Amino acid sequence: MHAHSFSPESAGIRRLFVLGLAAVSTLVGTWEMHRLLSARGTTVPEGVLLVLFALCFGWIALSFWTAVAGFLQLAVSKRLPGLRWPTAEESATRLTARTSVVMPVHNEDPASVFANVQATYESVEATGQLDAFDFYILSDSTRPEAWIAEELAWADLCRRVGGQGRIFYRRRTDNTGKKAGNLQDFCERWGRHYDFTIVLDADSLMDGRTLVTMARLMELNPRAGILQAPPLNVGRSTLFARLQQFAGRVYGPVVAAGAAAWQLGESNYWGHNAIIRTEAFIQHCGLPVLPGQQPFGGHILSHDFVEAALMRRAGYTVWLVTELGGSFEQPPPSLLDYAQRDRRWCQGNLQHLSLVAAGGLHPISRGHFLMGVMSYAASPLWLLFLMSGLIAGLYDGWLSFSNPHLLEDLGPEALAFDTTGAVRLFSVSMAMLFAPKCFGLLLALASSRDSARMGGRLRLVLSVVLESVLATLMAPVMMLFQSHFVFGTLLGYKVTWSSQQRDDADLPWSEAARRHAVHTTVGGVLSAVAFFLSPGLLLWLSPVVAGLLLSIPLSVFTSRASLGLWLERLGLLVIPEETEPPRVLERAQEVAEEHALEPVRDAVDHVLSDAKAHALHLALLESQPSPAAVPMALASARRKLLGDDVEPLSPPEKTAVLLDAHTLTEARERRLTLAVS
Amino acid sequence: MDSVTTPNTCPSVTTDWVRPETCVALDAFFQGFGFEAAEDLAALAAWALEGVTASNVKPQAAVALARARVETWLTRVLDMDVVGEGRLLTRGRAAFVLSDGARFGATVLTRDAVPRELSRALRAAVPVPVPAQVATLMPEQQLVLWPLGERLRRWLRAGQPDMSISR
Repeated sequence: MHAHSFSPESAGIRRLFVLGLAAVSTLVGTWEMHRLLSARGTTVPEGVLLVLFALCFGWIALSFWTAVAGFLQLAVSKRLPGLRWPTAEESATRLTARTSVVMPVHNEDPASVFANVQATYESVEATGQLDAFDFYILSDSTRPEAWIAEELAWADLCRRVGGQGRIFYRRRTDNTGKKAGNLQDFCERWGRHYDFTIVLDADSLMDGRTLVTMARLMELNPRAGILQAPPLNVGRSTLFARLQQFAGRVYGPVVAAGAAAWQLGESNYWGHNAIIRTEAFIQHCGLPVLPGQQPFGGHILSHDFVEAALMRRAGYTVWLVTELGGSFEQPPPSLLDYAQRDRRWCQGNLQHLSLVAAGGLHPISRGHFLMGVMSYAASPLWLLFLMSGLIAGLYDGWLSFSNPHLLEDLGPEALAFDTTGAVRLFSVSMAMLFAPKCFGLLLALASSRDSARMGGRLRLVLSVVLESVLATLMAPVMMLFQSHFVFGTLLGYKVTWSSQQRDDADLPWSEAARRHAVHTTVGGVLSAVAFFLSPGLLLWLSPVVAGLLLSIPLSVFTSRASLGLWLERLGLLVIPEETEPPRVLERAQEVAEEHALEPVRDAVDHVLSDAKAHALHLALLESQPSPAAVPMALASARRKLLGDDVEPLSPPEKTAVLLDAHTLTEARERRLTLAVS
Repeated sequence: MDSVTTPNTCPSVTTDWVRPETCVALDAFFQGFGFEAAEDLAALAAWALEGVTASNVKPQAAVALARARVETWLTRVLDMDVVGEGRLLTRGRAAFVLSDGARFGATVLTRDAVPRELSRALRAAVPVPVPAQVATLMPEQQLVLWPLGERLRRWLRAGQPDMSISR
């Protein structure tokens, strides 16, 4: 089936409004920049500068006009055309379709994962529609300890909620295709049991009413292939996370509503907190392997955009449904974790560049690929823009130095730089950058309930100012991080990153110094060069330079939960989900605190010494036959386990033992016998 | 955590003498169900060996007898239609341990009457990690990355296809 529009009639005018105005703004901005640069004629560095400016400004303009559309959409507060929503009568009926809720996990903290599943499960149960849902935890965990902890957590969860036969747990031994492969495996084994599948992430949490509404919308809109519920960042305490949560709550809806307003039925899929039409997904979204070498060839890394494009190509619509609510996830706790996540996503997004011209795709799907690329490529473009500016300045100075009569040859109008024009262009750029924040703030201020739940109007404004200052300071650091990732991907050098901070633990100064040493140095060099060229230029670059020079303390302090909680006590960066937490959030927190899981320090030792772990593991092994253990690893593990000398097992040996019921039984019997004798 | 502890008493509370290695094997078997108390293990060993000349029973044979008895008990209590060698025992044992059946003591297995509470808990605790599979294939989609180039390539009949490849 070829791509054709299923979007409502107003799609054209909406797209003309956003894309047209973004294009016109870019043209006007670029023309003005050209005028400013060409006072003494245009040099090659200035030409490069102009091209880079056009790209960066175009990106800002698109974001700005999307935010304008979002602001108008939210101000009017009318539902988007295209999707049929249930009437009150329809909402009261039972769901007829079957829906699976799947949560792919990979070496995650089981306490948090299963607390979220329990809260979501109970929330669905409270709607009275539980019969229409099944839950799957799809494990791709490779660490034996994570595997055993998940099994125990799953059994505990089933016991607590009576969920056997409704909450399922499957672990893959072969992790082909990573998360996309995990989902494909689910679809190929159990997908046909279900009309719809709700995909969650390991840190996702969703309100039961939202899940029911999503299933209902899918029932009522048979051409809808994917409905994406924008997730809200919640649940962390570090200053960095609280900045993300606040920004996501105040400005996020504006951006999301804007995107939904012009993309309509050609919206995007973010890989989680979304419902998909299972049969259509199975038939049309099997991911291809791309020709050529990495970074553009091979397995598709960021599967969600491609799946959305394939779904749309097959004639099904993809909607971003901003009205849904009840969709949550957790932000990264620190700047370094945020950057680490970006490192993973960067290659996947850049790979989409090779798909932009692929046959049969809807133009908006191509746009999504380009926007995904730009969300990372914008950083190196900005960096190159700054460097080109400096080079252009140096080149200009060198020209004047090498040819002292040059200035005499030019007219007086060429010597006078149009500072007013430059300030005007800079102000317009800044205004466009900060407009989504202003729109979000205005909407929050307009709602007395919302502003009261965010600490009151004054604190809300102060929070926006604080967030804006810190975000401005962190932006250049992210620019350098992302540029490093983009260049690393394109040039083929490996960007390694060993450490990972998963919880709200403080970031050590030594780690911050190691990660940000280059940023600080670049900040120093940049300020020296700018000052050498002109002290005024340094003033222009001060937001960039300050962020880089302060990157180490900024990273350390924003990773602190104590600072985040202190600001919360002051009523700053507070979101309504903290002052009046939804029941599902409270419940997830309660479950995580009440049912703390016993840590599994050594998976094999745990399974051999704990009767519950042993019995459960063997039962699961038998119910889900896995591929045989690697013979070499198993033989070596058996020698160590069943021999006279006690030797620690390596992770592959542990995995081999845990896959072999016979060895586990034998080793446990041997342990018990030895204990007696 | 139920750590491995083995009682230092032989479970030969019956009139017959039982080989020590048989005692150990039976203890290990019933410890797999979460029984830890020496008197429980002794009673269960006696139950397993009921009707046989215990002194002659070797460890493997004793465990086989115990398995058979427990399987009979599980079939009665769980009322489940489970096929396949060993599945009933493995899943039943998991259910027994998950519902902490050992807290009722050895009598839960040795007497005919099973507490209703345990019976209900056991049925609810039988691990069902996944439902029955409905195997299907997710066909790999084909993407022509640059249709114009592909047309040109075909026209020139040269080069590698500019197409996603099969896994």
